Formats: sequence, structure tokens, C-alpha cells
Amino acid sequence: MTPAALLEPALLRRLESLALQVRRAVSGQMGGERRSRRRGQSVEFADFRNYTPGDDFRLIDWNAYARLDRFMLRLFVAEEELPLSLFVDLSGSMDWGKPNKAETARRLAGAISYVALAALDRVRLTVFADGPTSGGAPYRGRRAAAGLFSRLQSLPAGGVTNYEKLVWPIGRQRPGMTVLITDGLGEPSIDPALAAVQRAQQEGAVLQLLAPQEMALDWSGDARLRDAETGLEREFTATPVTQGSYLRALAQRTDDIERASQRRGLRFARLSTAEPIDEMVQITLRRLGLLG
Amino acid sequence: MWKGARDQRAPVWKGARVLSFLAPAAAILALTLPAIVALYFLRIRRPTRIVPALHLWPNQIRDRQANVPWQRLRPSWLLFLQLLAAAVLVAAAVQPALPAGAALARHSIVLIDASASMQATDVAPSRLDVAKRQANAVIDQLGPQDRMTVIAVGPAARVVASVTGERDTLHRAVNGITASNGAGDLSAALAMAAGLVRAGDDARAYLFTDGIVQPLRASFASGLPFPVEYHRVGTSGENVALTSLTVRTSAQSRAAYLHVQNFGQQPRSVSVEWRADGHLLDVRPVTLAAGQAQDLVLPVPGDATAVSAHLAGGDIFALDDSATAVARTPRAFRVLLVTPGNVFLEQALRLRSDLQIDVIAPTAYRASAAYALTVFDQFSPAVLPDGPFVMVDPPAGSALAGGQPVGIGRVRAVDAGDPLLANVDLQDVHVARSQDLRNSLFGRPLVSSLQTPLVLVRDEPFRQVLVGFDLHESDLPLRIAFPILVQNLSEWLLPPSVPSHSFHPDEAVTIVPESGATSVSVVRPDGSRRALAAGSIATFADTDPTGLYTVEQTIAGKLERSWFSVNLFSDPISQLKPPDRLTLPPTRTTVTQATHHGQLEIWPWIALAALAVVTAEWLAFHRGL
Repeated sequence: MTPAALLEPALLRRLESLALQVRRAVSGQMGGERRSRRRGQSVEFADFRNYTPGDDFRLIDWNAYARLDRFMLRLFVAEEELPLSLFVDLSGSMDWGKPNKAETARRLAGAISYVALAALDRVRLTVFADGPTSGGAPYRGRRAAAGLFSRLQSLPAGGVTNYEKLVWPIGRQRPGMTVLITDGLGEPSIDPALAAVQRAQQEGAVLQLLAPQEMALDWSGDARLRDAETGLEREFTATPVTQGSYLRALAQRTDDIERASQRRGLRFARLSTAEPIDEMVQITLRRLGLLG
Repeated sequence: MWKGARDQRAPVWKGARVLSFLAPAAAILALTLPAIVALYFLRIRRPTRIVPALHLWPNQIRDRQANVPWQRLRPSWLLFLQLLAAAVLVAAAVQPALPAGAALARHSIVLIDASASMQATDVAPSRLDVAKRQANAVIDQLGPQDRMTVIAVGPAARVVASVTGERDTLHRAVNGITASNGAGDLSAALAMAAGLVRAGDDARAYLFTDGIVQPLRASFASGLPFPVEYHRVGTSGENVALTSLTVRTSAQSRAAYLHVQNFGQQPRSVSVEWRADGHLLDVRPVTLAAGQAQDLVLPVPGDATAVSAHLAGGDIFALDDSATAVARTPRAFRVLLVTPGNVFLEQALRLRSDLQIDVIAPTAYRASAAYALTVFDQFSPAVLPDGPFVMVDPPAGSALAGGQPVGIGRVRAVDAGDPLLANVDLQDVHVARSQDLRNSLFGRPLVSSLQTPLVLVRDEPFRQVLVGFDLHESDLPLRIAFPILVQNLSEWLLPPSVPSHSFHPDEAVTIVPESGATSVSVVRPDGSRRALAAGSIATFADTDPTGLYTVEQTIAGKLERSWFSVNLFSDPISQLKPPDRLTLPPTRTTVTQATHHGQLEIWPWIALAALAVVTAEWLAFHRGL
């Protein structure tokens, strides 16, 4: 599997010029291109502190000792990798619409991952439906993109969305960035997962992905509705009135997610699968401040 | 007898409000109601649509139809409206009707006066149109079981729709009635109506007329099997009419006498236009007080064929505003009297102006085709002429001679009502002696006695008369009856080919083709032509239009024209004022069935209501009820 199978080479080249934007310093396990909250060994000075036994005496500022007659340690900002956790909803409801929401989610996740990998950030990919798949080993470096893309494409869509089961895997994330790609339509609410992102001190973003056919109904009349996830059915007659009820319910749901995201300090964007991936990444996500 | 409404509105019918149905069979459409419910019970076939999140779709959706077969019926506005719409449509289909009023019998007989006076325009557009409108109103109230007969009362009564309940047919029949120029024969119409009603039928007649009809015949003394309602049409009698026009020829000149009369209650000034063969000769102003009449003497040119008068200005009745008269004198008949001498006979024949009499002695007699009639007195030729003749006292031994003379007592008419004996009084007539004609095969007896028939007549092969006695042996020539009898017989023997006097509209005109005529036709005032059989006496009754009629006969390749005229000339009709009361025959009291009420159809309103319900259903559907 090559990266080009999921994303076009031209798009990949354009993605290389982008980088994930974080609002505050992050700490990773490996050196990266980002400021870390921990003091490290980069060239950027951060602070002084008194020497205590056990400290690396290579960090003693001898000039300060000469002036103050005390051992002072020079502290530098550590430049670390950004741990990016991608949670991609591949439940049954995502396997719907034209263009397909699951396919678009895969491509979007691939694009964001590629941006991170190109910047030497560590990417952990978790696909979820009625539960999270095993995250597997994190991906790092541009070379890992092929494996990540391959994994994205190999995981089938299906199952019932259960956001509550995301609470534990989110909560064990090290501080970093968490991006949740979902249609947000599952029951029960997405709020517990968002709360977990906040508690885990993650820079977070919720990208709600909807198909144009569910944002504007293109049919009317009698139908038997079948839930894409549960298989439950209901008789329904689409009239202007009942269609309005549905659209109001959908708008209410997306507004709830947006408000919950903002309450948790998370970025939120509503995306349509009709929008090309290129524009989603270069325009919408840059405007959102997720990429820069 | 019911007195007619005094106004011109349609009859007002009142009665109990009980709904009836004109098309009860349509109630079978009510099966659509259970069908709608059954469709509701049956599971609807819906296409399956996969949606990402079913819980977002409105969970307040109500079942419009069953989700499972034969589920319990749930209340639904849509179902209710569908059932209501179907029910209302079924209600419209059965054509409910409210009783609309006056008692309509099971068999209604509508008599519409289509006589001349109904052409009057004192009510707009005319009396006949108002009558037809009122009749149509009655038709609209027919019930589903009701039948109606429509009779047009003209000079001849005519059934235009017979015992039918088809409203369209009845409307067409009524609307197709046109007014004639003749007088209405109400007696004939009532007799015709009575013939259509069986004993015990629930029938009622509605007579729409201005009341100006021919007097009823006495034959209705026993009454009619149905009551008759008189619905008066028309209001005014303000009319000026020309009621007579005759042309008189004297030795010096010819003149026309015109009678103009104002039948109204108001004085009128009119002008009379006087024409000869269409050319205007004179215009005479005439002022007439209420009810006043005036005679005008008007000149007639010597070469005029016809003269006509017309009242300029017009009034509510145009038919009597024109009059036409034939000015040309009829052609004379040549009559040959063969007699040894009979001044009585000769004088009686000369009384008729259109007869040209030649008198010769028996010895001078030669058969001649130049004479239309030959009168043999005490002489009989060896060969009798092929044509009309009168044989008086044929000599013994001749072909028509009777038996030995017998003495005669009283003279009497064989049939007092015979038209040939009209105004002939035989009371004081005596005959001394007559040939015995009892065994004669000549023809039917006209005048007879106890001993023998005295005068025989026959129609075939020609009209001929045989008198069995010598006129000198009777006092008949001394009686007034004699010239009248001769006049009657001569008119019968020699009817004018075309009578030149005026006839009334629709009156039959007897036309006797001239001998040798190869074609006979009548040209009516409107230019239409009617061909008649050339070889026989014809009765021409197609005389409804007023004006001048031309009879054209082709005799030896030459066209001969003669004329007669048709004019209204009827005081009772020109009087025009509808009587408040019309004397109608009594109703036989055996008919006492309860009548029922006319119908006012309300289904169009119900159909409108159905449309409103369907519209409401459409709105309800789109509002998701």
C-alpha cells in the first residue's frame, strides 16, 4: 500500500508544507520540532535554577557561578515531538452518503496524519465504532505514512457508535493533540468523550463529517427507514413538515456538539463530504487553526 | 279552479322539507368507504431507505396506514378527511334533492300556449319565452319517479314530450316550442292530455298561457281526470290592430276597406302605410281613442295584384300590424244552360258574379269543352259530358230518367247538416210531381220526400246533380231557398280554383287545380315553395305565416298564377289582455291521490363541499397531520 492509494501525490506534496498548530507547548517522548513544556536541550534558553546534587553538571552556568558564587543551572526549552492521536469514527452511520462519509474520514485522517508525520510528529491512530480498535504502535516519520494509510484502508466500517468507550483510551493519552473525526450522530452523546479529551489536557479538535444527502433531503413520500447502525426500521412519510422536523433535529444535534466542544476548549468544524479533501485541509482546517 | 299567479315570476313551490334522492343506485359507491378503511388496514408497500441515525427522524410520526396488516384502527385526521371526502362524494352522486314546493303530481302535464298571442312582447322577451321559463322551472323540480308530458297548445295541440322523466329531454322539448300564428286549441290539448292519463293516475296539469285561446268545447262537461293550474303569462292589452281588409269592385272603381282598432286603454296615434304590390301608395295618420275603431277607404290601382297595409311604429304585438288582400278578381267560369226556357234557373245562376252564363235551346246543344259546367233543363244529350253538370227533370227514356212521375207530399232534407243545404229552408217548399228516383243509381239523395228522392248528387266521376222534377211544377223557385241552393250547388260544382279571400293562419285552403294543369305549387310569403298533386283537389294547410300566397299552375306549358292571403284578423287575439280568470273544465273528484313535492337538486353544492374536503385533505397531508 502506498500513500498515493489514499491520497494523491500532488496533495501529499502540498500537505508537506503544513504543520499541526498547537496553542501551547506539548511534551513528547522523542525530540521533535515543537517546544516542550519540559526544559530540554535545545538552543533556546528558558530559565535558571539552583543546582541540586544529581543534576547534570554539564548544565552549570559557570559565568553565573563566577558572579554569584553559586551553582546555577541553565535551563533550555526542550524541542519535542507532538503526540497526535486521531480517533476516526468508522461506525455504520459513517458508511453512508455520496461521497461516502467513512471514505472521506479515512482520507481526512490520512491527510492530517501525513501533515504530522512529515513534521516528525508521533501519530497514534484509533478507529472506533462500538468500541475503539487497538491503537497499535504509534507512527513516526514520513515513512510510516504508508503503513498508516494501509491500516486506515484495511479497517472496515460498521457497528454501532459508542462514544463512552472512547473515554478510557483518550484518558490515557499523554498531553498532545487529539483529533476526533466523526459524524456525531451516535447515541448516546459524544460529550463524555469530549470531557475525556479535556481531562487528558489534550489540544483537541472535533471534525464533524456529514454527507450532503443528510443535510438536505432529496426525497419525499412514503418509505421504510432503516438505521444504518442498528438495523431498526420505522415507517415514515416525508412531507415538508416531517422533513423539517428531521432537519431541525439534525441541526440541534450538531449545535449540541459544537457547544460541547467549545465548552471543553476544543476546536470544532462541520465538514461536508461534498467538499474536496484538498479544500478541507487547506482552507477549513487552516481557518480552524488546526493546521498552519 | 285555481287562479293563476298575477306576476311573471316562476311559480313558487312550498312544502315539507324531506330529502329525497334522484339517483339512489349511486349509493353503491358507498362501498368506497370500507375500501378506504381496508386500504388503511393493509400494509403499505414502502421503499426501504437506510439512514445514518434513525433517532433523528421525527419520532412523532403518526401512522397514516397500518404498519402491520390489520392493526387496530388508530385515529387519523387524514383517514377521517378521506372518509369524509368519499362520503360527501357519494352523497353528491345519489343526487339528493329537497322538496321544492308545490305539489308536483307523479305525472305532470305541462301545457304551453304556443298560439299567436303568445308572441306579444309586453313581458320580455315574449310571453312564450316567459311561459317556457316557468315550465323549465317546474321541470327542474321533478322527482326521480316523476313523469312529465309537455304539450304545445297551438292551432293543433302537439305532444312534444310524452310521459318522460328525462329532464334534458323535457328541457329540449320546451325550449323547442315556437309560437304559431293561429289560435290556441286548448280543448284539443286538454283532450290529448286526458288521453294520456289513465283512471286513477296521480296527474296534474300546469297551463302556461295568456288565456287567449279558442273557446272550450262543451265536451268537457264531465270534467277532466286531473286538476289544471292556470299560470297567467302577460300583462298588457295595449294593442292597435288591423282586423279587416277587403277589396271591393264597383262599376266605377275598386277600393279597399281597412278596419283599424285600438284594443288598449290608452289613446294611440298610428300611421297606416298603404302599399300595392310592395309600392308605397299612401301613409295615413290615424288617432284612436281607447277602444275606438276606424274604417279607412284606400285606393286600389287597377293593375294591382295585392294590396297591403302596415301600422308603422310597432307595438307589443306585431302579427296584427300588417294586412294583405288580393286585389285581382278571380277568373270567371263559363256555364252553359241548355233549356227550352227557365228564367228561374238562369237568374239564380247569374247571381254569382264569377259565372259567365250562356243559354241555348236544346236543339242548339253541341258538346263543348269550353264550359266548366253544363246545366240541362228538361233535356238530356245522347252523350253526357265528362264534367260537372246539373240535370233537371231529364226527359223520359234518357239515361238518367227515373220512373213514372209520382205525386209528392212534404219535401225534406235528407241531412239537415249537409253543407249543400246550408241556410236552405225547405219548410214551405212544395213539389207537385216528380220522377220516381227511388231506383236511381245516380248518387246520394240530398232532398227527398216520402215518395221518392227529389235531388241526387254524386262526386264521382265528377260532381254532378240530378233534379227529378220540373222546377215549374214546384214553388221552390219562388222561395228564398232556391237561389241559396243554386249558389251552394254551383260553388260545390265549381269551386274557385283558388279562393281569393283572406284566410286565418293555419286555416286549410282548398285548391282545385285547373283542368289540364300539369303542376301545381304554392309559394308562401317567405318564398318557400310547396308542390301539390296536380290531378286532384288539394287541401293546403301550411298557412301559418301571414301574408300573400301565390298558387302557380302550369297549364299547357303556360304558368298561371293566382293568389290568396293569410291574415290574423282576429279580435279575440288582438285584444291581448290576459284574463284574470280562465274558465277551465272541472276536475273529476275521483282523483284524490296525495301529490308530492317538486325537487330542488342540491348535489352541486355537495360536490363543492367534497372539493373543499379534498382540499383540506391535501393541506392536512402537506402539514403532516
